[in-house]
Amino acid sequence: MIQVPCPWCGPRNSMEFRAVGESKSRPDVATTTPEQWRQYLYTKSNLADWVTETWYHRAGCRRYFAVERHTVTNDIRESRLPAAQLRQKEGSGS
Amino acid sequence: MSKVRYPAKYSALGLIKHGLMKGDWPQVWRHHELKPSYDVVIVGAGVHGLATAYYLAKNHGITNVAILDKGYVGGGGSGRNTSIVRSNYLTPEGVRFYDRSVKLYEGLSADLNFNIMFSQMGHLTLAHNDSSLRTMRWRAEVNKLEGIDSDVIGPDEIKKLVPYMDTSENTRYPIVGALYHPPGGTVRHDAVNWGYARGADIRGCEIHQQTEVQSIETADGRVVAVDTNRGRIATRTVVNCTAGWASLINVMVGLKMPLVTHPLQAAVTEPVKKFLNAVVVSGSLHVYVSQTDRGELVFGASTDPYASYSMRGSLEFTEELAGHVLELMPGIAKMRLLRQWAGLCDMTPDFSPIMGITPVEGFLVDIGWGTYGFKAGPVSGESMAQLIATGTTPENIKAFDLARFPEGRLVGEKGAAAVGH
Amino acid sequence: MSSAAATGRRLDPQAGEVIDRGSPLSFRWDGKAHTGFEGDTIVSALMASGVDVFSRSFKYKRPRGVLSATFHDPGCTVQVGDEPNVRAAHRRLAAGMDVSPENVWPSLKFDVRAANQLVGRFLSAGFYYKTFMKPQRLWPAYQKILGRFAAGGVTAADAEHGYYDKRYIHVDVCVAGGGPAGMAAAVAAARSGASVLLVDEEYHLGGHLRYGGEAELAALAELRAEVAAQKSIEVMTNAAVTGRYDMNWIAVVQRQPGISVRGRSIHERLCKVRAGALVVAAGLIERPYVFEGNDLPGVMLSTAVRRLVNLHAARPGDKAVVFTANADGDACAQDLRRIGVGVTVVDARTGGNIVSAKGGKRLKSVDLADGRSVDCDLLVTAVGWTAATPLLNMAGDRPVYDPTPARFFPTDRLPATVVVAGALAGDGSTAELIAHGTAVGATAAARAGHGSEVPVPALARVAHPELYRSTTHGFVDYSEDVSSKDMFAAKKEGYDSIELVKRYTTVTMGPSQGKLESVNAVAIMAEAHGVTDLNEIGTTVWRPPYVPITLGALGGRGFENTRFSPMQSWHEQHNAKPLVAGDWIRPEHYGDAAAEVAKVRDKVGIIDVTPLGKLDLRGPDVPKLLNLLYVNKWSKLAIGAVRYGVMCAEDGVVMDDGVTGRLAEDRYIMTTTSSGAATVWEWAESWLQTEHPDWQVHVTPVTTGYASMNVAGPKSRELIGRVVEGVDLSNDAFPYMHVRTATVAGVADCFMWRIGFTGELSYEIHVPAAYGLHVWEALFDAGSDLGVGAFGVEAQRIMRLEKGHFIVGQDTDGLTLGFGADLGWCIKLDKDDFAGKPELVLQSQRENYQRLVGLQPVDPTIVPAEASQIVEGAKKIVGRVTSSRMSPTLRRSICLGFVEPHLATPGTVVTCQLPDGRRVQLKVIEGLAHFDPAGARMKV
Repeated sequence: MIQVPCPWCGPRNSMEFRAVGESKSRPDVATTTPEQWRQYLYTKSNLADWVTETWYHRAGCRRYFAVERHTVTNDIRESRLPAAQLRQKEGSGS
Repeated sequence: MSKVRYPAKYSALGLIKHGLMKGDWPQVWRHHELKPSYDVVIVGAGVHGLATAYYLAKNHGITNVAILDKGYVGGGGSGRNTSIVRSNYLTPEGVRFYDRSVKLYEGLSADLNFNIMFSQMGHLTLAHNDSSLRTMRWRAEVNKLEGIDSDVIGPDEIKKLVPYMDTSENTRYPIVGALYHPPGGTVRHDAVNWGYARGADIRGCEIHQQTEVQSIETADGRVVAVDTNRGRIATRTVVNCTAGWASLINVMVGLKMPLVTHPLQAAVTEPVKKFLNAVVVSGSLHVYVSQTDRGELVFGASTDPYASYSMRGSLEFTEELAGHVLELMPGIAKMRLLRQWAGLCDMTPDFSPIMGITPVEGFLVDIGWGTYGFKAGPVSGESMAQLIATGTTPENIKAFDLARFPEGRLVGEKGAAAVGH
Repeated sequence: MSSAAATGRRLDPQAGEVIDRGSPLSFRWDGKAHTGFEGDTIVSALMASGVDVFSRSFKYKRPRGVLSATFHDPGCTVQVGDEPNVRAAHRRLAAGMDVSPENVWPSLKFDVRAANQLVGRFLSAGFYYKTFMKPQRLWPAYQKILGRFAAGGVTAADAEHGYYDKRYIHVDVCVAGGGPAGMAAAVAAARSGASVLLVDEEYHLGGHLRYGGEAELAALAELRAEVAAQKSIEVMTNAAVTGRYDMNWIAVVQRQPGISVRGRSIHERLCKVRAGALVVAAGLIERPYVFEGNDLPGVMLSTAVRRLVNLHAARPGDKAVVFTANADGDACAQDLRRIGVGVTVVDARTGGNIVSAKGGKRLKSVDLADGRSVDCDLLVTAVGWTAATPLLNMAGDRPVYDPTPARFFPTDRLPATVVVAGALAGDGSTAELIAHGTAVGATAAARAGHGSEVPVPALARVAHPELYRSTTHGFVDYSEDVSSKDMFAAKKEGYDSIELVKRYTTVTMGPSQGKLESVNAVAIMAEAHGVTDLNEIGTTVWRPPYVPITLGALGGRGFENTRFSPMQSWHEQHNAKPLVAGDWIRPEHYGDAAAEVAKVRDKVGIIDVTPLGKLDLRGPDVPKLLNLLYVNKWSKLAIGAVRYGVMCAEDGVVMDDGVTGRLAEDRYIMTTTSSGAATVWEWAESWLQTEHPDWQVHVTPVTTGYASMNVAGPKSRELIGRVVEGVDLSNDAFPYMHVRTATVAGVADCFMWRIGFTGELSYEIHVPAAYGLHVWEALFDAGSDLGVGAFGVEAQRIMRLEKGHFIVGQDTDGLTLGFGADLGWCIKLDKDDFAGKPELVLQSQRENYQRLVGLQPVDPTIVPAEASQIVEGAKKIVGRVTSSRMSPTLRRSICLGFVEPHLATPGTVVTCQLPDGRRVQLKVIEGLAHFDPAGARMKV
C-alpha cells in the first residue's frame, strides 16, 4: 500500500484516501460548447508518466489536494493545495 | 470461409502416434523477419488482436497481416484474466454481442482444432439486498427476451448449486438471491490465445513477438506507417488492440480518449479436491471465484482504486478478497492463497468498449475493454475483421463507437453499474 | 513398517538436535498410530518410524518422499484433520494429530492411477489442448475425469473457521531471514538505535548454522545471545515475509503463533509492517538436479539430509551415494559417515556425474556416468543453489545470472530502502557472512534514520560448477510432474520463451511456486535454445506471496462497517425484521407491513429514519452552495422554511435528493438519501475546496449526531402536541414544508419539520442521538390511546409509491438525466450555473429519452415484479417497471416505470412481460402519484 503525503496530515496509507482522478479545470458553463463540456467529462490523458491528480483524505482531514504521482512506479514527488486554493492565496497576497 | 489443413492436426490419435514415435509436433506458430509493408498491422497479440487476424484470414481472405507485440503472445490481459465467459448483460445490444461470443466459444475448440476447455459450469451473480436483486431481475428479464438462459433463483437453489455457500439469514451480507446463467463458465485463456495464434499463423498472418511499436506515422490525416524496435512497416491500416496500454498507442496519432488504466488483481489458491461447480460472483463484495479442473480457486476483484500502469500486486487486495470470500464460504478459511498478480484494464465511463474508426483514417481501435475484454475476444475479432475487410461498421458494434462520447450517447451498461451492485 | 524399523531409524542424540526426547507425542498417519517427539516435524517423526512415501504426484501418481525437508518440499504435503495441504516437512508434530496422505485413492500403497505412469509418454505436457475436442458434447464427461486428478487435500463446507488476527507493526528495520547475516544485521541495526523486526520461517533462528558442525553451532550460540541482548529486536520465528509492496509495506505471516484470544488459539496471524528499511537476508535454497528417477523416494538434497540427521536425529537411509559439487555436499557425506551410513561419493568437481536412479517405491540403485551402478537406498545431491530473490523481485529488481558461482544475483536497481545481506550477495565463511550482515544492518538503520552508513564489505563469488541436468531427462517441477523432456518438446513446438513454456507446461506453477524449480527451468530452456548464458532466457517474475498464506489470516476478523440507530434495542424487542441497507441495519417491518400502512393512513405511525443523511451547513454563502448543488433555486429560502431539492452530477444524471431547511440566518440542515450521505458530503466539499475556496460555508456531517423519527398520520399533530414544548403546531403557525427547533419530551435542541414522504400529515423529529431512544419511547407512551404503532421501511416504500415519490437509484439509473425523472418542474435552466447544467440544457432541447411515469396494471390483482420489461412486439424493449407494490390503501397494484416518449402520454396502455413469461397491460396515469395527487392530506 502506497503512502500518500497529505499536506495537512503527513504520510498516510492510501486506503484512507479516495483518488479522484486527473486534475482538470471546469469549463465556464456560460461559454462552453457541448464538445468542450464532454471532453471535460470524459476524455483523459491517462499518461504513463508523472501526472497531477486530485486526492481526498476521506478518513482523515477531509481535505482535497493535488498530488504529483508517477503512474508506473506509483512514486509521489509532491502534494499541495488544490489549484483554486493556491490561486486564492496568491490573490489575497498572503 | 477458407479451409486450411494443419500440418499436424491435434487429436487423440495424433497424441498416441506422437507418443509411440516420439516425434515432434510442428511449431504452434512461426517466427518471421519483419516485412517492409503489410496490409494490416495489429498492435497487441492478445485475444482481440489474434482473433481479429484469424477472422481477417479465415472469413475475408486477408492474410498480409502482422500482429505486433512488445512482449509475448497472450502476455497481457489475455493471459492474466480469470477467464469467465458469460452473456447475461443488461442491455439488449450488450446481450446480443456477448451471446455471439459465447456461441463462438462453444464452437471454438473444433474451429481452432485446439481444446480451449470451455467449461459451461454455470454462473451465479449473488444479490445481497433488494436493490441488487432488482438489478439481477432486470438483467434476467432482458436476457430472456433475447433468448438467453438466465433467471433469478433463491437461496435454496443457490445452496443446491454451491453447497459451501453460507445462505443463512443472519450474516452481514445475507444472500437473498442470484442471477443464474447456466451457459456461463470458464475457458482456458492461454488455449484461446494460442489457438487463435496457430490458426492465424497457418493462414499466413505473421505474429511478431518482442516487437514494440515506437511511433505511428500519419500523412494528411491518415496512417501511413508504423515504426518498431525492429524496423519500419508501411501500412494503411493499424488496429489498436492493446487494452491497458491503449492510451499510449492512441497518443502516437495524437488522439486522447475516455480511458483510465487501472490495475485489476487476481489470485489463485493451492489446489484442493473439487467442491465448487459454478462461477460465483458477488458485486457487493467485489469478488468472483471459480475452481479449476486442477483444484485451484481462481479469484478476481474490482479494479484498484487509483489509476496506474503498475502490475505489482497489493496486500490489501488479498485481504479484502479473502475476507469477502470467507463471508460467502466460511468453511475454506484454511485454504491458502498461492499467488497473486495484476493486469491492466482500460476503463471507460460507461463500462463499454470503444470499437471502430477514429478521426485518424486507417487508425482503428478495439479498446476500452475494462474488466470484460476476454469474454468478448471472439466476437470482437470477428466484428473488427468485418469492419477492416468491408470498410463498414457492423451493426453489432455500432453502439460502441468513439463518437458516442462527444455526442452524449453513452451505453446503457452504465445503468446497472450505477444502480448499487 | 515394523516397530524395530521405527526405533532403528531414530539416531542417538545429535549435537544440534531440536527434539525433546522426554516428550513423546502420539499421532496417526494414514489411519495407523505412530509416535514422535516434541520438536519433530510430521515428516521427521514419520521418517524416524520408517515411512518413506508421503504422497503421490499430481499427474502420474508417482510415489514421493522427502526432497528438501523444508516448507517447500513438494512431496510432503498432507492433510491434518480438516486442514488441507499442510507442509509436513515443516509443521511441528502435535499430540493427537490426525495426519493423512493427500491425492491417493484408494490408498497410498495401492494406487490404480499409478497405471498413468505407463501411459505417461502419451500424456506429454499440454496434451489436453490437443484432444477431447470432438464431439464437443463429451467434453464435460472428459472434464469430470480430468477433475478427479486435481491435486491437494479436502475441505468441508462446515469446516471450523478457526481464529485469525492481524497486527500492524511500525518498525525502522525489518530483516527477512534469520540466518547468520540476518541475525548480524538485526543486531547491528539495533545497536544503531533502530527498532528491528527479525523474521525467520523456521522455528529457530540460525539458518544453515543450525544443522552445521561444532564451529557453526558455537557461532550460532553467540549470535543468538547477541540477538537476545538487544531489547529493540522483536524476533518472529515460524513466520515468513510473504510480500514486499510499494514503499516497504511488508506482509509477515506468523503461523500458529501460540497466542490465544478468549480461549481460541490463533491459527495464523497477518502482520502488516511499514518499515523504514528492509534487509533481505533470505539466503539460498538448494536446487535439485535433473536426471532420470530424480523424484524417487530416497533421492534427497544434501540440506534435507543434514536437517533430518542433525536437527531431528532421523536416519534417512542406510547406504548412500553422495553426488557433490560443493562443501555442503562434502559435509553431508561426513554427517552420513558419522552416523554409520555407507557412502559412495561422486564428485562433480572432478568430472563425476550420475545418470539415473532406479527403484520403485524407494530408490534401489544409481547409475553413474563412469558406467558403474551402485546399490543404495539414499542418493544425495549437492549441485548448487537458487538465490531466494522473490522479495527483491517484488521490490522492482530483476536479478542477473552469474555463471561463475552459477546463480542469480541482485542488481543495483533496488530502492535505497531495500538492502541485501548474506549469501544473496555472495559467498563467505560464517565470519564473513556475519561481517557483511553487520555492515548491511548498520546501513539499513542509517537509511531508516538511525546512525550513519558504513562501507559494506564485498562478498566473494566462489566458482561453482553449472550443474542443472545430467544426460538423462528427469523432473523439473515435482509438484506439477513436469519433466525436462516436456520442456524440450514445448520449446520445439514454439512455446519458446520462459513465460510461454511456464504457461504451457505449468512448470513452476505448483505449490512451491518455483522455489526449487525455477532456475532449473531457465537452464533447461537455455539448453533447449542452445545458449549458455541463462540471462538470454531471463526469469519469470516471482509474485507474492513468498509462501502460501491462509485465506483466514488474510481475511482476519471481520471489521465490516455495521450501523444501528439508537433505537435498535426497541426494534429488536418488537420483533423487527432486519433489513441490510448499505452500512445500516434497519427494521423492514414489525410483522405486517400492510397493517402498518393502514395505521399511518388511519391513525398515526412512527418510523426510525436515523440513516437519513444529514449535513449541517453554516455561513453566509450557503445559498450559493445550494444553488450550485441543486437543480432548483435556493436564494430566497426564508428562515423556518424547508424546500425539496434534486442534485445531478456533472453529466446531468440524477445523483441524490432530499430537503434542506433554514433554521436560522446562517444555519441550514440538508438531508440526503441514506446511501448518498457520504457522497453528497464529499461532493459539497469538493465544490467548496476545489472550485470556490472563497465561499464562507462550513459543512458538518451530523447523520449519526441525530436520531431521526418520522411521526406520520392524521393523528400525528395530536401526538406531537403531547410531547413538544414551545411550538405552535397549528397549520397556520407551522405549515407544511417548514421547520422549527423545539424541546421534545424534555430534550432540548431538537428540530422538526413537516414533510410528506408518506403523503400524510407528518413531523420528522431530529433528536440529539443520545436521547433518541428516550424520545422514541416517550412518543409511544404518549400516543398509546391514539393507536400509535411503529412502521418499517417496507410500509414507507408502499406509501411513497402510492404517492409517486421516486427513489434515486431505484426509479432512476446511471443514465437517467434530470428531465427523464419527471423533474422538469424543478430544473431551473435560467440559473447561471449548477452541477450538470450544460447536459440538462442539451437534454431540454431533445425528446428522445425515456420518461418516468406512474403505471397501473389493468388487472389490479397483478403486481409485476420490479424490473419487469415493457415491450413492443416480440422482444423490443420500450421501458421497464422500476417499482411495484400492492397498495393496501387503493386495494390495487401500482407501479412506477420508464417508458419511451411515445408511450408516456397519460391513458396509454403498454405491454409488460412478467418474469414467468405472461404479458399484462399497464396503463400510464396522469403524474406519478396514485393516491392523493393534490397532496391535500399532508397539508392539513
